[in-house]
Amino acid sequence: MGEYADLKHIMNPRSVAIIGASQNPEKVGHVILQNYFDVGYSGKLFPVNNSYEGRILGLPVYKSVLDIKSGVDLAVIAIPAEHVAEVLTECGKAHVKGVVIVSSGFSEVGETERQEKITEISKKYGMPVIGPNCLGVMDMRSRIDTMYLPTFKLDKPKIGSVSFASQSGAVGSLILDVISHEGFGLSKFISYGNAAVVDETDILNYLAYDKDTKIIVFYIEGAKRGKEFIDVAKKATKIKPVIIIKGGKTSAGASAAHSHTAALAGSAEAYDAVFKQFGFVEAEDMDELIAYAKIFDTQPLTTGNRIGMITNGGGMGVLATDAIYKNGLVMAELSEESKKVLKGSMPPIVNIRLPLDIGGDADDKRFAAALDTVSSDPNVDALIVITLFQTPGADSRVASMLIHRSMESKKPIVVISPGGSYTQVHKDMMESSGVPVYDSEDLAAKSLKALIDYSKYKNRMI
Amino acid sequence: MGKLVDYAEAHRILSKYGINSARSAYIESASDAIKFSAGEPIVMKVISQQALHKSKNGLVKLRLYTAKDISSAFSELRDSARKLKLDKYKILVQEMVAEGVEIIVGGSVDPQFGKMILLGLGGIYVEIFRDVALRVCPIGEYDAESMIHQLRSSNVIAPDKKADAKVKSILLKVSKMLAENEILELDLNPIILTRAGYAAVDLRIIK
Repeated sequence: MGEYADLKHIMNPRSVAIIGASQNPEKVGHVILQNYFDVGYSGKLFPVNNSYEGRILGLPVYKSVLDIKSGVDLAVIAIPAEHVAEVLTECGKAHVKGVVIVSSGFSEVGETERQEKITEISKKYGMPVIGPNCLGVMDMRSRIDTMYLPTFKLDKPKIGSVSFASQSGAVGSLILDVISHEGFGLSKFISYGNAAVVDETDILNYLAYDKDTKIIVFYIEGAKRGKEFIDVAKKATKIKPVIIIKGGKTSAGASAAHSHTAALAGSAEAYDAVFKQFGFVEAEDMDELIAYAKIFDTQPLTTGNRIGMITNGGGMGVLATDAIYKNGLVMAELSEESKKVLKGSMPPIVNIRLPLDIGGDADDKRFAAALDTVSSDPNVDALIVITLFQTPGADSRVASMLIHRSMESKKPIVVISPGGSYTQVHKDMMESSGVPVYDSEDLAAKSLKALIDYSKYKNRMI
Repeated sequence: MGKLVDYAEAHRILSKYGINSARSAYIESASDAIKFSAGEPIVMKVISQQALHKSKNGLVKLRLYTAKDISSAFSELRDSARKLKLDKYKILVQEMVAEGVEIIVGGSVDPQFGKMILLGLGGIYVEIFRDVALRVCPIGEYDAESMIHQLRSSNVIAPDKKADAKVKSILLKVSKMLAENEILELDLNPIILTRAGYAAVDLRIIK
């Protein structure tokens, strides 16, 4: 881990100084401080402001970080860009262990010299810096939250094991808002902005070895240190799935190329190649990103692509069958043994073959009987259960049965349940208990495909 | 900015890594070409730093058998070169490789990730169909295999185990060559996969 920035003092600090803390509720420095109270941070908090005396939110204000005698693990800097270097130097002198600079006005507006100064100071004091021009970090367990987004404007996700890193603050906050309505929870969130010091390679390395992170989700626009990024990725993707989405993929290829190859191997293609070659799970859009996080968070890995499909609606079974073949998966062939058991347990109207259409009147018992036989069939690697709650037989008992079976299953199970408010209630029930539920058969199939591809990569010896 | 490596030198580099390319020679006259052909079909092309896209500019003549065809091709190529105002060029003759599937194997240097290797369905339409697979060098067996299977044209390029093994071996050799040499851009386009084996018939190495 040595050559990459250690973020442990930033993610789990015992004390935090907020430089630029303000009495004015409309200022970023106020919102950040307020948020610490809202999320219940239990470490020490030190508001710092060189032009304000007295107290902010009941805490005594310091003129400089150098005045804080008990030591500071993390400093959050939220002051105008032109004063950042000076304050950062003070942090270095005060032996602050990590810094987040939320201020903007650096390389993103052409102020590259100002940003280089930040890099220089960080190096001089060996002090990791996240930012500038970023939202900063959030850790659901240590309750650290450097973001300046008012808590009431943004739903916060529950505690979980998916960690999310984003170059872009906007994409980052949007994701937080969106995933708070999904079944899975968040471990850590890092928005790293201009990456003057800590970049995607450091973050990938940190999250790869972080025990509270089971899945890494990354939004990147570019990797600053391409070769190091690959070195870290090779190890990271063997440890845990890394779901990645790349912004800015439509850029034109190299224009000064002399060969077909150089014309065909543009920057976007190179990123694609790296993602494929080094085991990333690549998402094309936000929907895929959420869909993949959902399946990786809850389901066991499998390298087989034979799907056992059960449905209580014939037409949806046909659509989902198309979707699995379109995504390189195949329908399993039931074993003779399974067929015999199903003939006994299913009513005569049920055709004993996959996809197994158990009929619109199927209740939880019929679902359970079908699921038990299909999931234990040695020809089946993974299951898709289409549960249409619009039918007379499907109710909360079906959802509850699926939750139980899913917990015990050694094979991945995904549910497809499109529908309105009655369906939504059951979807929420299942998702919050670890069953990935999809509205669309295409996303369900893509998610299984992503899971299988990653499993193959992980199992590979060479 | 890179410089195109001389054809004969490119040929030598490839053979050092065991990559087959069509037998070829520079010639000064039509009679040199007739001697090279010895009754077998040949290809004749103009090689110049100033004209990188040969077939587009009429600088390639295919399937020349007879002394008469060879002689007239020779003078036509000189005329074309004159028309394009090429002040430095050479004329190359090459054995005519049997027909087969044409692939491109290439190399480039990405500013972020370094040396890359490319495989695709070859020929003059390569940039139109863009059916290519790209990886970071060096690649292993698995990468080579996955490059082939990533292509829409994988069944055309590698319809059976033998062809699959052939393409894989070319990729691994080219990867080694790219890794051990400072090559800015490489086009082996096309490499013709024949029943008997394969041969790169056009080589472009930019160093």
